Amino acid sequence: MYLVANISVDICAATSCKLCTQFCPEANTILYNDEAGKEKGLRYGSAYVSVDRCKGCAQCVWVCDNMAKHNAIKMEMIDLIGDQALTENIHYGEKSTTATLANPFPG
Amino acid sequence: MSLDYVKFTPGFDKWMPKEYRDMVEHGPFGKKTTVSQVGSFKEILEEHPMCAGCAMTLFIRLAIIAFPNPEDTITVGTAGCGRLAISQAAIPFVYGNYGDQNGVASGLSRGLRLRFGDRPKDVVVLAGDGGMADIGFAQTLHSWFRKEKFTTIMLDNEVYGNTGGQESGMTNKGQVLKMAPLGKKFEKMDMLGMAKIAGCAYVATVVPNNPRRVESVIKKAVLIAREVGPTYIQAYTSCNIEYAIPTDKVLEDCKEVEDDRYKFTEYLTDEAKETLSGLYGYKEYLPKPVPAITKN
Ligand SMILES: Cc1ncc(C[n+]2csc(CCOP(=O)(O)OP(=O)(O)O)c2C)c(N)n1
Ligand code: SF4
Ligand code: SF4
Ligand code: SF4
Repeated sequence: MYLVANISVDICAATSCKLCTQFCPEANTILYNDEAGKEKGLRYGSAYVSVDRCKGCAQCVWVCDNMAKHNAIKMEMIDLIGDQALTENIHYGEKSTTATLANPFPG
Repeated sequence: MSLDYVKFTPGFDKWMPKEYRDMVEHGPFGKKTTVSQVGSFKEILEEHPMCAGCAMTLFIRLAIIAFPNPEDTITVGTAGCGRLAISQAAIPFVYGNYGDQNGVASGLSRGLRLRFGDRPKDVVVLAGDGGMADIGFAQTLHSWFRKEKFTTIMLDNEVYGNTGGQESGMTNKGQVLKMAPLGKKFEKMDMLGMAKIAGCAYVATVVPNNPRRVESVIKKAVLIAREVGPTYIQAYTSCNIEYAIPTDKVLEDCKEVEDDRYKFTEYLTDEAKETLSGLYGYKEYLPKPVPAITKN
């Protein structure tokens, strides 16, 4: 198994930094959902990872820990991570995206 | 090539892959998208086989986002790691023989000017330090001396990354590499100095840990090449494999190298400044007002 980045909505949606996606080397991998966390009263929306595109480099972890100082991203095993965003389930809107979460590693 | 270049053939849209549909409907073509909006639009760079965490990959991603008119841009590359990603973007990519890239780009940009004289078509070369400063050195310099109107971007990882660690002219003196076990014997080549002497209208150095700056230099270089003459960007894009940089330390290394030997520099000729100052958003290049002479 291998590691992919997992972003905590609870931490990310409490800020509006949007830094990590500018530093992820892979395109279309860290995306934003402006509505995420709003149901919990968090204001800013959250970043999330399209895990099928993530190469597990952990640069985003470095950015979130050291530049943003929010510690919202952890590397986790893809088969233990639970439902996640995958490219095929991402919907682009005018200014934001949404993802229907699914098991990235069925079986 | 035009804004129509990526569209569906009527009736076929529902059969196209999701990535393609997203790109047509939510991509940057014909829009003014910026680096600060990433994560909310579909980027035209797709998946590719470059190494995890490679700074060159990050730079290429940012550069493609920054192209002022991606729908009217053609990239030219050559053997080396970068082409593995550049070729996977939804804009035309021309693959020159190793070292031929600036010769190919010269013909291409001249041909495009003849064919589409009334509309800008931007040619952008992206190639490694080996392909540009060693094997393609003559073609690079000659294209600059001939004042060919296109942008040349060196992806400077200071090594031949794709072939496993030979030294290049851009490797630093003393550097030990897998295939330079005694250390490099001579200094890093001054391509920036040569670019200025050869007549480039815009010359800049940049590292990818400052995405907005990458965006700014790419936009300026492409816009100046369109109107004035050759432009050159030299980007530090470390090879984490050959320099054994852990992937989560790549940005830290970028910062260290930036502070040490890759500080941001930007050079513009007067003509380039004048051209930029006439474009929206570049008023800082307007000539400074001459201070009024006051009598004591
Ligand atoms: C004429 C020719 N000679 C040699 C090669 C083999 N070759 C492929 S990639 C490469 C090195 C690339 O190094 P560089 O240009 O620095 O790019 P990097 O891979 O480091 O990004 C070489 C020598 C080739 N493809 N064609
Ligand atoms: S850097 Fe951290 S806090 Fe900022 S957007 Fe990314 S995950 Fe959220
Ligand atoms: S681990 Fe690397 S590839 Fe994955 S999301 Fe983070 S920066 Fe991107
Ligand atoms: S070999 Fe080096 S330059 Fe090439 S993709 Fe891998 S890390 Fe990047």
